Amino acid sequence: MSNKIILLVEDNPDDVELTLRALRKNNIANDVVVARDGEEALEYLTATGKYAGRVAADLPQVVLLDLKLPKVGGLDVLRAMRADPRTRLLPVVILTSSTEEPDIITSYQLGANSYIRKPMDFNQFLEAVRQLGMYWLVLNQAPPINR
Amino acid sequence: MPKEIRDSAILNPAAGMVTGITEVRRQESLLKAEGLQNAIFNSANFSSIATDAKGVIQIFNVGAERMLGYAAADVMNKITPADISDPEEVIARARALSAELGTPITPGFEALVFKASRGIEDIYELTYIRKDGSRFPAVVSVTALRDDQGAIIGYLLIGTDNTERKQVETEQKMLDQRLRDQQFYTRSLIESNVNAMAATDPHGIITDVNKQTEALTGCTRDELIGAPFKNYFTDPERAEAAINLVLSEKKITDYELTVRARDGRETVVSYNATTFYDRDRRLQGVFATARDVTERKMAAEQQRASSAYARSLLEASLDPLVTISAQGKITDVNEASIQATGVPREQLIGMDFSDYFTEPDKARASYQEVFSEGFVRDYPLAIRHATGRIMDVLYNAAVYKDDKGHVLGVLAAARDVTDRKKMEEEIRALNAGLEERVRRRTAELEAANRELEAFSYSVSHDLRSPLRSIDGFSQAFLEDFGSSVPEEGREDLERVRRATQRMGQLIDDMLLLSRVTRREMHVQETDMSALAAEVAEELARESPQRDVQLNIEPSMTATGDPQLLRIVLVNLLGNAWKFTSRRQHAHVSIGTVQDPEHGLAFFVRDDGAGFDTKYKDKLFVPFQRLHAQEEFPGTGIGLATLQRAVHRHGGEVWAEGEINQGATFYFTIADLHASIPTREEQR
Repeated sequence: MSNKIILLVEDNPDDVELTLRALRKNNIANDVVVARDGEEALEYLTATGKYAGRVAADLPQVVLLDLKLPKVGGLDVLRAMRADPRTRLLPVVILTSSTEEPDIITSYQLGANSYIRKPMDFNQFLEAVRQLGMYWLVLNQAPPINR
Repeated sequence: MPKEIRDSAILNPAAGMVTGITEVRRQESLLKAEGLQNAIFNSANFSSIATDAKGVIQIFNVGAERMLGYAAADVMNKITPADISDPEEVIARARALSAELGTPITPGFEALVFKASRGIEDIYELTYIRKDGSRFPAVVSVTALRDDQGAIIGYLLIGTDNTERKQVETEQKMLDQRLRDQQFYTRSLIESNVNAMAATDPHGIITDVNKQTEALTGCTRDELIGAPFKNYFTDPERAEAAINLVLSEKKITDYELTVRARDGRETVVSYNATTFYDRDRRLQGVFATARDVTERKMAAEQQRASSAYARSLLEASLDPLVTISAQGKITDVNEASIQATGVPREQLIGMDFSDYFTEPDKARASYQEVFSEGFVRDYPLAIRHATGRIMDVLYNAAVYKDDKGHVLGVLAAARDVTDRKKMEEEIRALNAGLEERVRRRTAELEAANRELEAFSYSVSHDLRSPLRSIDGFSQAFLEDFGSSVPEEGREDLERVRRATQRMGQLIDDMLLLSRVTRREMHVQETDMSALAAEVAEELARESPQRDVQLNIEPSMTATGDPQLLRIVLVNLLGNAWKFTSRRQHAHVSIGTVQDPEHGLAFFVRDDGAGFDTKYKDKLFVPFQRLHAQEEFPGTGIGLATLQRAVHRHGGEVWAEGEINQGATFYFTIADLHASIPTREEQR
């Protein structure tokens, strides 16, 4: 499992810390790449800018994408990913605080694979991350583009 | 030879009779008359027959021979004049004389001479029978012949042929009969006439009347004839004037008078009268016929009344009304038309209808359409007043017909729509202003809404994140350093976490309330019974330890937004669940009820903690709670959210309850009651 990278797109350092903590607590030891905004996320995925030296074909197992991000928003990141043949099939899980209907609908319309609201209660958050990791990193058969 | 015969023979010297001694005595006086006698005897136009006292014919002159066809020798001393007379007439004469004179008279010669024998001159008609059997009428004059002592010695019957006179008489009789017939016919004509007829002399005195006049006046013919004509009228002077008018003008027609009958009854009559003359063109008087026109008068009166009524209807109309002929000429107008055009009635009538409009061609087209279609509706035209002022009108017009269905013309009514047009303008301006204001308001509202959404979005994301951090790191702290923290400190951190979670719940509830307000409605028929069952099932799953007896009325439906209706039921059933949590066996029921004030309403009833009814107005105010947090946790937003969802359906929500007596919440879905079947319908 260790070769499977998780791309966490999250600007809030608290949430990053809590997410990493939750992954750790659930014994999910995958490499987690954290992008602090949408731009950085896209640079990572397309191996440009800050990540220009990266092998573009090495895509993460799953992208955990927050919606409210500086510079480029989460929905724009998703839109860009789905427009790019390389990332078109990459599993994207929206992980956000929002329960606004338009957010949910737009996310799915743009091709999100899942939409998870971050629970307020940390114990619930732990449980959510546990299930999420189990599902996307173990159960789910990722599309063959990753190879 | 009998003495009488001898005596009588003396009278006829021509017969060459031998005269006796007495004859000699009378010779002289007789001779004096001899010339006359000869003339008479020899007259061929008179039959002179002399008889003896017994009636035997002694002399039969030439006239008698000619008339009767006998030779003197055939009859002399052989027969009596009765033998050559019509025997039936002789018998009839005998009977008549017997009756007249009171003595029996023999039907024979005696009947022919009886009166003469009594010294009465007697001339009568008699039918003589000729020798050949033929008959002729004769007028016979009979004289008795007497001797010096006055004794009758014979009779002289002088007869004339009456045939011609008889014919004349017969003709006269026929003429008389014809005259009588004619008179009868004329009378019949007069009497059979339905009109009352009267004739007067030139002074106006009635000379003849028919039965109708008797009926009309109630007076008899006898009473009327001889009385002045004028006496029988309500206005005698006018009646007299009528007679005078006839006399001067020779005739009058349709002269109305009112007859007053004896019993006071009055009849309006129309007189036609002429003068009449005799054969010599002498004025005889006036012949007058009267027709009863009471009914006609009444009909005319009614006609006048009804046309006056129609007229007043026309005039009462504030709308200009005109009638138009097929040629488009105005035939009648009302006052409103005069006002509208500023043209007097006399001038309007006969003018072309289309002349009074700003668009004459269009006006012409309008009445042409009426004649072809039978009517027009709300045909817009503009009337030009004489002063130049324009009146916008809508014309409604239809053809009108006589009894036989022939189109007589068009009745056209104009409605002044100047004010209406002005009002329409104003309304349009007002609407435009309103629309502008609405547009502005909408823009403002949209801006506000956008702000609200941004706010909600922000709340949703940004307000929750710190809470998650507080909770998350409190937990992390306890996990990482829990062993070195005293029990008291751990409890403090747990309080921080509980407060954080409550804050999170508040935020979620407020977001829901905000979402209910902003949500776009998707109205559809919704199975409320199924929805209630679904919600209840979730509640039961969340708290499986609870014993709640649920009763849902079947087949309840409502037309509304299913998501909002779901929020309504989630709140109400959630409340019921929550406030019955202290009951070992709770009862919750959902159904419909007919509310006197609100009509058909849904209700959710529980037998839980209830509430103090005096605070019921606070139930639906956000953040207002009637129970302590420790007793029944909650944010105080649920009922406000429910109320908003109901209001968005145009409905009402209210509650009844008592402390520890349970609570019932009602709500309606406005104008959608019809879709909720009543209990009766469900059965």
